[in-house]
Amino acid sequence: MSIRAALLIQRWYRQYAARLEMRRRCTWKIFQSIEYAGEQDQIKLYTFFGFLMDHFTPASSERNLISHIFRKNEFCHDTEWERYFCYKSIEVTDSYTGPHLTFPMTFCGVSKLVEAFKHKQQLHARYVLQLLGETWRLLRIFPNISQISAYHNKQITICGDLHGQLEDLLLIFYKNGLPSSEKPYVFNGDFVDRGKNSLEILLILFGFLLVYPNDVHLNRGNHEDHIVNLRYGFTKEVLGKYRVHGKKILKLLQKIFSWLPLATVIDNKVLIVHGGISDKTDLDAIARVDRHKYGSALTPPKPTKHAVNGSKTQTINNREACGPVEGRRRVCSLTYCSSGPAHRHDLPRRSLHNAHISSQLNWSLEKELKKRRRLAGFDQSYRELRTSDSDPESGETTETDVGEWKQIVDVLWSDPMAQNGCIPNEVRGGGCYWGPDVTEEVLGRHNLQLLIRSHECKQDGYEFCHNRRVLTIFSASNYYEVGSNRGAYIRMGPDLVPHFIQYQASRTCRELTLRQSVGWTERSALRALREQLFVHKSDLISAFQEFDPNNKGMISLRHWASATERVLNLGLPWRLLRPQHVSSTQCGMVDYQQWIRELSITEPKQEISDNSILETMYKNHSNLETIFRIIDTDHSGLISFEEFRQTWKLLSSHLQTEISDKAIADLAQSIDFNKDGVIDINEFMEAFRLVDISAHT
Amino acid sequence: MERSRCVFYLSLHLSMMAPKKVELKKEAVKMSPEPETAKEPDFDPQSIKIEFSTDQIEEFKEAFQLFDRTAENQKKILFSQCGDVMRALGQNPTNAEVLRVLGRPRPEDMDSKLVDFETFLPMLQHVAQSRDKGTYEDFVEGLRVFDKEGNGSVMGAELRHVLVTLGERMTEGEVDNLLAGQEDANGCINYEAFVKHIMAG
Repeated sequence: MSIRAALLIQRWYRQYAARLEMRRRCTWKIFQSIEYAGEQDQIKLYTFFGFLMDHFTPASSERNLISHIFRKNEFCHDTEWERYFCYKSIEVTDSYTGPHLTFPMTFCGVSKLVEAFKHKQQLHARYVLQLLGETWRLLRIFPNISQISAYHNKQITICGDLHGQLEDLLLIFYKNGLPSSEKPYVFNGDFVDRGKNSLEILLILFGFLLVYPNDVHLNRGNHEDHIVNLRYGFTKEVLGKYRVHGKKILKLLQKIFSWLPLATVIDNKVLIVHGGISDKTDLDAIARVDRHKYGSALTPPKPTKHAVNGSKTQTINNREACGPVEGRRRVCSLTYCSSGPAHRHDLPRRSLHNAHISSQLNWSLEKELKKRRRLAGFDQSYRELRTSDSDPESGETTETDVGEWKQIVDVLWSDPMAQNGCIPNEVRGGGCYWGPDVTEEVLGRHNLQLLIRSHECKQDGYEFCHNRRVLTIFSASNYYEVGSNRGAYIRMGPDLVPHFIQYQASRTCRELTLRQSVGWTERSALRALREQLFVHKSDLISAFQEFDPNNKGMISLRHWASATERVLNLGLPWRLLRPQHVSSTQCGMVDYQQWIRELSITEPKQEISDNSILETMYKNHSNLETIFRIIDTDHSGLISFEEFRQTWKLLSSHLQTEISDKAIADLAQSIDFNKDGVIDINEFMEAFRLVDISAHT
Repeated sequence: MERSRCVFYLSLHLSMMAPKKVELKKEAVKMSPEPETAKEPDFDPQSIKIEFSTDQIEEFKEAFQLFDRTAENQKKILFSQCGDVMRALGQNPTNAEVLRVLGRPRPEDMDSKLVDFETFLPMLQHVAQSRDKGTYEDFVEGLRVFDKEGNGSVMGAELRHVLVTLGERMTEGEVDNLLAGQEDANGCINYEAFVKHIMAG
């Protein structure tokens, strides 16, 4: 009888565990889809700017608003930059209670810095600039690929993404010890963005780099990129912490990021890069590039004048000539053009238009341009399609440049996939998806045995794939939400066998049961999803109404699922999610109007008459903020009404929607203008942040 | 009821007295062709009529794909995942039942062989039709066996021991997960509440 009781309990437990696992996977998929859709969005915006750059005369004011982000390294001597970044004139007053640094940096100095940050102190701008200046000087002499060895019984510690989560770095140091010549470390990129201590992490890592340049190795990640930082919080963090010197600090960091090495190799056998590889990856080529030319990996090299004008010239920024853009069929990410219709998912993901539409001439381009110009309110007469001679950004760009650029983007942005082949990474919008065959080929070609990469959050902090030839390591615990995942780091000795140490930074979540932590994370994911649904309200209603011609207010479950996916395009299992979202179903029918009403999210405090601009506002929250920050060149956090208006014009052009001047003026008026006709970016964004009231029920 | 309870206590007493003997007996039974298996023919997917609705099938497909980590465009799962996917979809077969519908695979096949959705569906249907599911009452009765004092609670330690040593054994970690937050300061578990908790998950 006890056996029978045991059997019963055991099988029920297994069911309970399986259902929990399914909820967890669902939740994970939600977070990941939303995260990657955001990245894709950013790249689309940036690509749109590239388009504007190519097609509008230098004199246009709109172009001037954004042109500075495309400026590649200004052709100044470093000595001029040194003068600009000079810290010496910055005085440290007696009221400063933070740590004082002396240079050259010592182990004591960095440890002091770590302690100070642990106690939430802030480093004085003078010392920040000094430390960063030293770092910049040091990085310039490093090669693109760091070669290290685990000889002499040295254990090498390898960490993945940290994303501004200082607690995780401190936990790693606590468990593993601080970096030293006896304790070498490799940090595999994505130190910044999202978390709120990105700058502290950088200062600590750079500090250790200065003290132990042969034993601390930093790889660049896709977030070590000033354009990405505009959207994901690092720019905001620096400007918030350093109101006077923030802009200078950001500029210096921009240089530093471009000088970060791209890869690390251990004993010629283990390759460590942030994102991954593609079938074109060639370490010799990577070793040769001038890595600092690529300030932002998002900026492709510009095409030559000929490519823009004539149909005769081969398009140079695609390996194979791509045909005209036709919806989803031709998918070109920033670097990769596949000739076949291979897609990673069955449901076609949002495709990205090409990095340079200019390189594909067809007759409808003229029409497209006219429409965009009109939407953006540009009234310049349209000159020939060519970049002007006096434009400092133009110049001869060779195929080598483009090839080089692709090598870098692939290494920073790619993700592994399960099936063979190499296809564009449509989900992120940059790099590719590479399969096990590519792993074998590339590792074999370079005589390597293991690829260690980061870039993707993993439940247990690490994950093998491709027959254990690829290892993902991710060090930011609780990345999506408290309890969502553990972080991990690798210890590797001369035998080059990876050992894992896992952790979770927050004490509260360690005490949660599995069920509680799944529940918590799930609630958070569902909130995020509800926000997405809410901002797409009108699109959803139109999509539903297509299936409800008689306007009965009801559609079948199948139609509900397919319409929702079509609008949101997140690749989510909607039927499984339905019980969490839709309360009303009768005989497999969904009362969609009721459902839309139930998406209870509050409206902002201000009264806005025009609902469509509001929805655009919500849907493009991040894009809007990014554009603001780009326009705000002096990084003051304030923009004029005119700039505000220009922002909306730019956005409407990107989205190909009409936004009237009156609507913009109303929007501006709804904000409390107490700063002499300028708008505080942060205030504005906060005022229109969505608040899910159902979160409190 | 009383008599059977005596028998239960007796058998419990016996099994606790000489656990080795019981196990040997079990193994001996396994070795020889069990009369039960001879009665049940091998699982024949062709003979299964799918009674799920289209909507249900679409939902199952979504769940199936959620577990597909092997080769995403292949839309398949490993043999070793089949049981979990069935359970995630509301069934609760024993491991033995899962092995049966899989066609009694070899242990090495479990982590290498794949199943696509079309093959999976009849297996799921068959398991869904199984009568022996276990109700709340069955559960509570089963646990009452361990309720020495008849006061509505069982000792966590005893339950742990049983789950780890008998039946389709669980690991220590799994038992920890199951009993998390259920034991009071004395290590006792109110089993009616416990059963409600598991069945609600």
